[in-house]
Amino acid sequence: MYVSPIREPLIKGNKTYSQITKDIAAPIEGKPGKAWYMGLTISLSAMFFGLAMMGYTVWEGIGTWGLNRTIGWGWGITNFVWWVGIGHAGTFISAILLLFRQKWRTSINRSAEAMTIFAVMCAGLFPLIHMGRPLLAFFVFPYPNTRDLWVNFNSPLLWDVFAISTYLLVSLLFWYMGLIPDIGTMRDRVTSKAKKTIYGLLSFGWTGSVKHWQRHEKLSLILAGLAAPLVLSVHSIVSSDFATAIIPGWHTTIFPPYFVAGAIFSGFAMVLTLLVVTRKVLNLENYITLAHIESMNKIIIATGSIVGIAYLTELFIAWYSGVEYEQYAFLNRATGPYWWAYAIMMTCNVISPQLLWFRKLRRNLLFTFILSIFINIGMWFERFVIIVTSLHRDYLPSSWSMYKPTIVEVGIFIGTLGLFFSCFLLFIRYFPVIAIAEVKTVVKSSGAKEPKN
Amino acid sequence: MNTNYILSKKTKQVFLFISVIGILLIALGFVFENPESKNIWMNVLLNNLYFLFLSLFGALFIALHKIAHSGWHVSLKRIPEALSSFLPYSAALMFLLFFGMHDLYHWSHHDLHDPIIEGKSAYLNLPFFFIRMAIYFAGWIGLSYLLRKNSISQDLSNDYKFHKQGKTLAALFMAFFAVSSSTMTWDWIMSVDPHWFSTLFGWYVFIGLFVSGIAAFILIIAFLKSQGYIDFVNKEHLHDLGKYLFGFSIFWMYLWFFQYMLIWYSHIPEETVYYAQRLNGFPNLFFVILILNFVFPFLALMTRNSKRNIKWLAMVATVVLIGHWLNIYLMLSPGILGETAQIGLIEIGCTCLYLGGFLFVVFNALSKKPLLCKNDPFLEESFHYET
Amino acid sequence: MRRYISAYFTDEENLLRASKILMEKEISILDILTPFPVHGLDKILGLKDSKLPTVGFIAGAIGTIFAFGFQTWAFVVDYPLFIGGKPHFSIPSFIPITFEVTVLFAAVAMVFAFLFRSKLGLGAKNKIHDERITDDRFVIIIEANENDDHFNNVKTILEQEEAHEIQLKEHK
Repeated sequence: MYVSPIREPLIKGNKTYSQITKDIAAPIEGKPGKAWYMGLTISLSAMFFGLAMMGYTVWEGIGTWGLNRTIGWGWGITNFVWWVGIGHAGTFISAILLLFRQKWRTSINRSAEAMTIFAVMCAGLFPLIHMGRPLLAFFVFPYPNTRDLWVNFNSPLLWDVFAISTYLLVSLLFWYMGLIPDIGTMRDRVTSKAKKTIYGLLSFGWTGSVKHWQRHEKLSLILAGLAAPLVLSVHSIVSSDFATAIIPGWHTTIFPPYFVAGAIFSGFAMVLTLLVVTRKVLNLENYITLAHIESMNKIIIATGSIVGIAYLTELFIAWYSGVEYEQYAFLNRATGPYWWAYAIMMTCNVISPQLLWFRKLRRNLLFTFILSIFINIGMWFERFVIIVTSLHRDYLPSSWSMYKPTIVEVGIFIGTLGLFFSCFLLFIRYFPVIAIAEVKTVVKSSGAKEPKN
Repeated sequence: MNTNYILSKKTKQVFLFISVIGILLIALGFVFENPESKNIWMNVLLNNLYFLFLSLFGALFIALHKIAHSGWHVSLKRIPEALSSFLPYSAALMFLLFFGMHDLYHWSHHDLHDPIIEGKSAYLNLPFFFIRMAIYFAGWIGLSYLLRKNSISQDLSNDYKFHKQGKTLAALFMAFFAVSSSTMTWDWIMSVDPHWFSTLFGWYVFIGLFVSGIAAFILIIAFLKSQGYIDFVNKEHLHDLGKYLFGFSIFWMYLWFFQYMLIWYSHIPEETVYYAQRLNGFPNLFFVILILNFVFPFLALMTRNSKRNIKWLAMVATVVLIGHWLNIYLMLSPGILGETAQIGLIEIGCTCLYLGGFLFVVFNALSKKPLLCKNDPFLEESFHYET
Repeated sequence: MRRYISAYFTDEENLLRASKILMEKEISILDILTPFPVHGLDKILGLKDSKLPTVGFIAGAIGTIFAFGFQTWAFVVDYPLFIGGKPHFSIPSFIPITFEVTVLFAAVAMVFAFLFRSKLGLGAKNKIHDERITDDRFVIIIEANENDDHFNNVKTILEQEEAHEIQLKEHK
């Protein structure tokens, strides 16, 4: 294949295959720095605090949360949707960018997929703990039972059970199948007997045989073909939790693709937050280059613009419909008691990513890092605004109420952040952060010169 | 290798013949079907939209692939450029609607005593409607013209500045298209049912535009190849276009499904009436559209080889093009004609008339420039790549 | 005692050319081990296309029928309830779960088929030919026979393509 010389090289520094292996294996083989230990301590502490809050919730009940009859969903489901959304970037990078032959994905897909799995794990906690009796959580699965009852197939909340379970499992399989050859690399590099045994087991006996590679490539391609529709379907089903309702601000047909665009938007922001730091700390700047950062920023401005257009569409159609409840819902969002949340959402999601039209900013690491955090804050507020403003004032003014989270809810959210970052820190310590084998396939075809053919 | 397409006399005659058949069918339709003015105007609107979409796709394809830094498509770009050359004709035809507004759009009548429509009158009024129409076409025609000009400038000079200019133009087009693609559907299609609304509508129609455009792209390639042109278009290019046709047909179905399911689920009468009219008045057509636009392309294009065979692709593309025509028909006719509307001689005739003219304009534009562009920095990639 | 010839390459272009020549001369290649998938190698070796896609399709189809059928049976035959005014046979409601189960069945079936066919798994006892393969070495394993000429023939071909460490080994 020919690569045009105007394209930036995917891997910088004229790396040989051996150098690639060494560079990516280095963080696993060496000892982690102080920063890693500090980071892990902080995130584990957050995680344990969150676990305590979750335990307290399960023990005492949902009364420990700030929910009431009018606003039955608050931080819990906001966090659920936020985490699931973040997870979608990993699958987008692995699956959809593979289908579009974007070779630059090979430097970021492994860590993005890992991020997906951790994010979906965090998301899955919320449906579990928000049930009144989490020990009976298995009731959601349609198994033959003595209660003589089936689950409610008509409910989007049940569709969620199937969607999130499938998504978690397929993401896990996709991530792990891709990891197998790289674990093989680690197995063959480590010297201690214990490490060799563990990596040996986890490598599933990978030999590098051409027939296995042929099947592996086919498998990756088809899993990508399956995972791509999952990106769309899972978040569309999540959005159906709201869109199938009848309250203004929730019942609107644009939700499925708009939520998907928002998910990819926030997910890429999280990938950038993680990788801007990781590439520096693990000395992987030659693999996760400024070109990669710029490409991710381009996806952010594209999906951010789609989200912005969706906001404008909702506003316009609310007016156009002539439905006074719909019109009030949006007026309330902008001017009612939660106007500040709406302002944060609009600033962070609509205005700030538009700065990425400037190439200099797309390639600026500090700006990218700060913007990525703003975007995730904005996207959190988007879900909060949708959920709480539509619930706290719908059709019946006598039911109007306010919602404030309790320390328990806030603590649980902090706990999930702790779980997420702990998992990610452990991941970068023990597994190759970059897809070693995949990067080797693209190192030659990366701009600079024409490959021998 | 022929570098220029020659619009032969024979081909011109075929196009003319199609239009003449169209006129004949329309004439017969007047005799047997007794159409009212609203039947005629419905067909004008239907075909205006159908061929506008194919034409807009041309400009969109170029702009989208330019900002994505895509290399594989570069050797093909003269074809979508030619599609976009129909836009000025689309504009003229669309402005003709001025004479049919009362037949097409209830909201254009005065003294309706309908508070819902009155509530929308700040947007749905004749002057603003046509001002918007002018803005849309000014943007689409202007930017697509500049994109085509940029493409030819690149042919004539090796200067890298044209590549950069092209990217800027492409970004401008995408930004303009992102907004106008939705608002045009609200203006021209959604307002046919002035009490109904759906926030997804703009994006849903847009994907239909994209799929139809890909199908038309494939058919033009099939035609050119059958005449011995564009032998640089290989199986890899076909495979990619086939992937687009497959994938976006699925995406269309996904949007169709969610628009339908969400309205069905909430069961709010002012929304469900839209689907009730269509399911009750056109039960067979309703499902035929889903089969032609999703079930068939899904099954027919699943395998790798199916996407690499130009004859098979052309066949599927034809089915999809018919399916999307029927879809626009079903979007428009209940609101304009009521539930007793039927597809007859007038419908087929009008489409044939438009088709002949459209083909002539597009192939004429194709003949004015070399089929293969030059000097594009990604051109070599377009020759040497594998999917 | 079965014997084989092994040779190492450091560049996949050489490997591709060497494999092509060996295939043309009808020399039997037992296996090729590489650190990453080498594009075009499976075609040169004449390997048949993997049947994983078929497995995926069939498993997915089973998933579709199972999920849609089960929901229909549960809500139409076994325990029909009126929920939110929806009909018992509420097709739009059944679609999301049907779709997810289809994807689930297809993905899981393909992964298991892949692991099973390639004899990979948690307890797999595959011989690791050389630890450098997963780093940067490409290894060809050619069937050897008792003929010394054969070995020299092969050695010449391989050396032309810059192979290293061409050795005659015995299967353990």
